[in-house]
Amino acid sequence: MRHQNTTDHGTTAVNRLAGMRRRVVGSIAGLAGTMFLAGCATNAPQDTFQPKGPNAKIIDDLQKPVFAVAGIIGVFVTVVVIIAVFKFRDKGQPIPHQSHGNPALEITLTIIPALILTVVGVFTFRTVFDLAKTSDTEMIINVTGQQWWWEYDYPVQNEYGITQPIITSGQLVIPAGTKVLLRQTSRDVIHSYWIPALNGKRDAVPGRVHLNRIEADKPGIYAGQCTEFCGLSHANMRMEAVALSKADFAKWVANQLKPYASPAENTLAKEGETVFMNQCIRCHQVNGMKRADGTPVIAAPDENMVSGAAPNLSHLMSRNTFAGATFDLLNKSCREDVWGAESESFGAKYLGGVSEDCLNQTDLRGWLRNAPAMKPMYANPALLTSSGGKYRGMPNLGLTESDIEKLVAYLLTLK
Amino acid sequence: MAIIERSITSTEVFSVATPSSSLGALKRPVATTGWKSWLFTVDHKKLGIMYSAAALFFFIVGGLEAVLIRLQLAAPNGKILNADLYNQMFTMHATTMVFLFVMPMAAGLANYFIPLQIGARDVAFPRINAFSFWAFLFGGLFLNLSWFLGGAADGGWFMYAPNSGPVFSPSHGIDFWVLGLQITGIASLAGAVNLITTVLNMRAPGMKLMRMPIFTWMQLVVQFLLLFAVPVITVALFLLSFQRNFGATFFDVSAGADPLLWQHLFWIFGHPEVYILILPSFGVISEVLPVFSRKPLFGYPFVVFSGAAIGFVGWGVWAHHMFASGLGPVSVAVFSISTMAIAVPTGVKIVNWTMTLWGGKLEFTAAMKFAVGLIVLFTIGGLSGVTHSVAPSDTQQTDTYYIVAHFHYVLFGGAVFGLFSGFYYWWPKVFGKLLNEKLGTWNFWLMVIGMNMTFGPMHILGLQGQPRRMYQWTEARAGEGLFNFGFWNMFASIGSIVLSIGILLFLINIVITARNGKVAPLDPWDARSLEWMTSNPPKEHNFDSIPTISHLDEFFHRKYQEDASGQMVKVKTAEQVMKELEDNADAHIHMPSPSYWPIFLAAGLPVISFGVIYSIPIAIIGGVIVLFGCYGWSIEPSTAPDDDFDPPATTKDVVHVG
Repeated sequence: MRHQNTTDHGTTAVNRLAGMRRRVVGSIAGLAGTMFLAGCATNAPQDTFQPKGPNAKIIDDLQKPVFAVAGIIGVFVTVVVIIAVFKFRDKGQPIPHQSHGNPALEITLTIIPALILTVVGVFTFRTVFDLAKTSDTEMIINVTGQQWWWEYDYPVQNEYGITQPIITSGQLVIPAGTKVLLRQTSRDVIHSYWIPALNGKRDAVPGRVHLNRIEADKPGIYAGQCTEFCGLSHANMRMEAVALSKADFAKWVANQLKPYASPAENTLAKEGETVFMNQCIRCHQVNGMKRADGTPVIAAPDENMVSGAAPNLSHLMSRNTFAGATFDLLNKSCREDVWGAESESFGAKYLGGVSEDCLNQTDLRGWLRNAPAMKPMYANPALLTSSGGKYRGMPNLGLTESDIEKLVAYLLTLK
Repeated sequence: MAIIERSITSTEVFSVATPSSSLGALKRPVATTGWKSWLFTVDHKKLGIMYSAAALFFFIVGGLEAVLIRLQLAAPNGKILNADLYNQMFTMHATTMVFLFVMPMAAGLANYFIPLQIGARDVAFPRINAFSFWAFLFGGLFLNLSWFLGGAADGGWFMYAPNSGPVFSPSHGIDFWVLGLQITGIASLAGAVNLITTVLNMRAPGMKLMRMPIFTWMQLVVQFLLLFAVPVITVALFLLSFQRNFGATFFDVSAGADPLLWQHLFWIFGHPEVYILILPSFGVISEVLPVFSRKPLFGYPFVVFSGAAIGFVGWGVWAHHMFASGLGPVSVAVFSISTMAIAVPTGVKIVNWTMTLWGGKLEFTAAMKFAVGLIVLFTIGGLSGVTHSVAPSDTQQTDTYYIVAHFHYVLFGGAVFGLFSGFYYWWPKVFGKLLNEKLGTWNFWLMVIGMNMTFGPMHILGLQGQPRRMYQWTEARAGEGLFNFGFWNMFASIGSIVLSIGILLFLINIVITARNGKVAPLDPWDARSLEWMTSNPPKEHNFDSIPTISHLDEFFHRKYQEDASGQMVKVKTAEQVMKELEDNADAHIHMPSPSYWPIFLAAGLPVISFGVIYSIPIAIIGGVIVLFGCYGWSIEPSTAPDDDFDPPATTKDVVHVG
């Protein structure tokens, strides 16, 4: 009898201890779960669970239940293991029966996950083909990746007022509510185009054209980042998609097609144009630029660059970023004004472009002073033997401060 | 070469003889102690120890690289490493951990324990075994030489073309990478042939395949995977090598190449490689869990066949690494489904381990803690794997930190925890001393906490949209509030320090154990399989007499029997079982003799590689070394002749091994 009592006491104590442990484990799991949820809700610009267009939404509708099911199974397995650990720890019990298994249980526990995966598989299959659909495309943009920036080339599409090709970079401007097909390729290594709010990623592979469909529900600016490792400055190869209302998009197109206007004579900007023609034109094109004798000024990036291209700087100040969207053209307060705008007022603010007051002078001047110091690039002539002397990225041009002054004044005229 | 075994029963006290001299181009080495006994050894146990020691060294190297990466990423715009150095760092971290730590560590365990587990006295080709080790070591050192000769490889461990071409990576880093891996590939291939032959031909009498210890089974699957996967990467590396060093244009788009060729070749190797990394650890914990649960592995045949199924299906999933690379919807859908399919046999293993625990009598030694830790951590990694088998979802998460989190749960929570479980379990077998259990507990908990702190937040970072392989991250993309990139990156970096301290405790444990560790009893864990049926550490010839096998878990069944009431009771101690073997000892066991040639031949390989990079005449010298090595090797008998032994043995009385 007494002996019995002792055992009871012992068992209760063990039970109480086990219960306490379970509560501790439970609260840790709860805390971890809360942290996880809190951790995800930060409005990070590249959040993969905040779709802002139908393609990303299709993905989101699939991934949410899959994550939920995976989470439930994970918690279930963990709990079973924890129970086994506490329930069967050595408390002096005899050596267990040497059971070699239970085929019926085994087969059941094989079939259940197989069934779950079959269901997931069916939905995955359907979604893959839904996402691959391109037949109802409303607009085409050619997207070309190179170290370490993206070029956007709009072929002639009269229904959008694009009566001549538009070539731009840094920010992809699209009309909201329009199914846009990106035809992607690369001029050097493999890059990957990724605007998480609009769609998953798709590699840009040299020698191949890959299709990538995006659509934004509302006007706004959507952040992205090159996600295929593309060499030295991979981390600095960003992109932004700018969605405008259809009317605003038409205004943007009209501005891009506006003919070149040379700065007025005897201004700092005019001197800057001369500096541009002597220096920058080796790689950077500005459409419509002419010499004093009226001959057109044509850039020859293929002679200087491994990828054979440098960003076209026509209407530079209509963009908010430069150098592969690495740096802002807008200073901090003006940038916040645009990025934080409601979708109704966003278009007008974006189309305002970059005024002298809003210009991020620090970064632009720093870039002109010594670009490779701001963004790692292959720009040291001594190290370019393997590429036949061609650069990857912008070299240090050794400009004087007065040249920089003039160039900034000139670039500000490229509205 | 193979097995010339004449069965002999003799009451004479056995002695292992060493040859005094021998035929061949050089006299045979004879040292049994001192550094020469290690340099020229062909003993699978010495080689196993050397494999593991070298792997541990590379683990520390790769770990330091990882810590530097985390320090760089702790805060935005990190300045500790520049872009170039960072790219080298993550390339070499992955390369080192995959090829120079997990693979050779698993190879070390395989070398040491497969012959013991199957009741053999050595592997089938002992000299080739030695060659494999030296080739791995020289390949690994050659690879890391690049740090001191103009910078290491900077193209990522996946080394995608055309970014790996001479224009885009002008330093010699990638050349060292390609040729270094080529050499370690030779090591893996030779090792695979050797171990497959050993397992298939040299099992003790009565050990049918389905009575084979599960660790040996998983290693057998791994060796087959290596046998078929390594040639694929070899081809890819040759193509890249010819492109970089001899102007070939295999991946040159302007010459009409399709860069996706490299991706297919790399991942046809690379995905089976994932199973090459994880299956040995599955084997380890499938040994450890039953021992410390005091019951057999639940559903042994299911574990065997699911391992084999993973081995087969593992070949049909490679393109899930390429869901974003533009394969077209049909390929994407098919590989999506096949990837889900491989989750089923993997799930089977988790079920079996959990059911092994269920109803057991669990003893939580450090080895057991790591094994149970693996079940939970690997499950998390496996489930995040399932989430990106869903291709559309994967196009959001691929190349973000979510993937980094996933494969670290699989490879750190899985492969590395399994290896650590093995360290604690087998240490007394190899060194005759028990690792300190108290330190082991600290080691375990710090690793669990550190690993979850480091890799857990990476799930969140990835879902918040932080891409991988970026030397800096910017506040512009970090998000708002407390729990943004900044918080989680710092959290992960602190975690990496906790993790490092955990691993440091293991190194301290080794030192403490070596100095004044507890001497291990013959059967410290009340184990179940054959490797424990011999002394700690085992004699050079492993077993005094080769046991005849009648059960899975032979050793357990020799110790335990059911009594009248069906209860398992101990009927013999380990010492008594040992005594039976010793009483039937074979006389004059001639072990394979040491040889100069394996290390000599292996030394030629880095010389050739060095020459390919810098100057062809040096490569020719390397080629001559290799050819001369082959010549010397071929005229040297695998075992010294009987009359070469001291005392000379009469042919009738001798057991030859190897």
